[in-house]
Amino acid sequence: MAEREKQERARRSDAPASPRSELCARPSALEQYRVLLMKDLRQELRTKEMLVSMGIYALLVIVVFGVALSFARPGADFLEVSGGLLWALVVFTSLLGLNRSFSHETENGCLEGLLLAPLDRGVVFLAKATSNLAFLAIVEVIAVPLYWVFFSSFAAPAASAPLIVVPLLLGSVGIAGIGTLLSTITASTRGKDVMLALLFVPVVFPLLYACVSATTAALAGGVLMEEAFATSLALAAGYDVVMLLASWVLYDFVVS
Amino acid sequence: MSAAPAAIRCEGVTKAFGTRKAVDDLSLELPRGAFLSVFGPNGAGKTTLLRMIATLTRPSAGRIEVEGVDAKEEPDRAREAIGLISHNPMLYPDLTAEENLLLYARLYGVRDPGARVIELLDAVGLKHRRLDRVRTFSRGMTQRVSIARALVNDPAVVLLDEPYSGLDPHAIEVFDDLIASVRQDRTFVMVSHDLEKGLRLADHVLVMARGRAVAFDPKDELDEDEFRALYRSTVGMGVA
Repeated sequence: MAEREKQERARRSDAPASPRSELCARPSALEQYRVLLMKDLRQELRTKEMLVSMGIYALLVIVVFGVALSFARPGADFLEVSGGLLWALVVFTSLLGLNRSFSHETENGCLEGLLLAPLDRGVVFLAKATSNLAFLAIVEVIAVPLYWVFFSSFAAPAASAPLIVVPLLLGSVGIAGIGTLLSTITASTRGKDVMLALLFVPVVFPLLYACVSATTAALAGGVLMEEAFATSLALAAGYDVVMLLASWVLYDFVVS
Repeated sequence: MSAAPAAIRCEGVTKAFGTRKAVDDLSLELPRGAFLSVFGPNGAGKTTLLRMIATLTRPSAGRIEVEGVDAKEEPDRAREAIGLISHNPMLYPDLTAEENLLLYARLYGVRDPGARVIELLDAVGLKHRRLDRVRTFSRGMTQRVSIARALVNDPAVVLLDEPYSGLDPHAIEVFDDLIASVRQDRTFVMVSHDLEKGLRLADHVLVMARGRAVAFDPKDELDEDEFRALYRSTVGMGVA
């Protein structure tokens, strides 16, 4: 036993302090995050795979909604369903984008290349979630005004309508965060498109409910705005904090 | 086992997937600068062993050290010493060769990433194509960029997982020349089904079957005829 300990000490004392080459310095997590984020943005701006498919899909959903509502009578009642329809548009569009967001990583085994680097897995998650959020936000900036152009003839929204930006932001943050985790889980499964939807919709349900409630309250205004808006936003913000932290912590386990 | 520092040291390494042991109580010690070829039938556990050394898979039991660093306890430090080349190039097809290598260089904290990338692209003979997307490259060219990627952090240990897969004879020749030129003091571990090539490059050989080491020897202590007979009988065991 003593001989073994002596050998172990001798071995450890002879071992290098760091196996890192002199060509390299200790990489900073912030720089690694920036590098990974820029990689995603550069790839997408070059191929436009996600943005084009999400944009076209959003436009088609708006057209389908237009057809579905073509026999509805204009009136204030429309405002009470419009928040839900807007979130159906956001959820379906983001599902399409999330399914594609990981395809670059699985192609050519790129994810393994990233995992080989001395890199906290949480940094990979944060960079991917940020790029997913950016792409979703770009599509929303185009699709949401378009949605109102299509449906503005049904009813005039309340003066508080611009506040829908807040639930849209909170909802998008949550969708990008939990969607990144789930798309990583389903990326290498068979039937990943269906699998992601099956996991995503139930998990995101509390956030969706809160965001629909806050959006409807902002559009309808009045009593609904006073009663539901702040509470719904608090619920959405709480969901975001808990789920983003959980996703960040669990990401190492998921990619391992 | 000796007390001298080894490039790779495995002690009782086991990896179980459910009740099936892909690697079973494997121990070996590889000195610095060695070239180990790992042989065995499909399902013998060769790639699982390589992935555990690369820190991509955690062992269920046992201990792996890379350059004196415990790969299970301090995987990030161990990763600083490792480069992996496999049949998957791990390159983003829509980024250029230079962008791909810069990405990895920055992730590893290379001090002068621009200069290092140009140096590596020059070494693999693709400096003139550095601004072309990887998607436009042939399989052989992509594998050359992959070698540059694996060497971007100047690793002490290079792992090769079936690196010849999908390469034509000319590309294999180019690949061998490149490996010879970057060998220097690095330690190599190569998983291969190509017995002749594996034996030619190696100074240590490991034969695995059903997750266990059937033989682990320095090549100069081998009787090649006996080894070939052992290899044939082991591969004849089929899927482990």
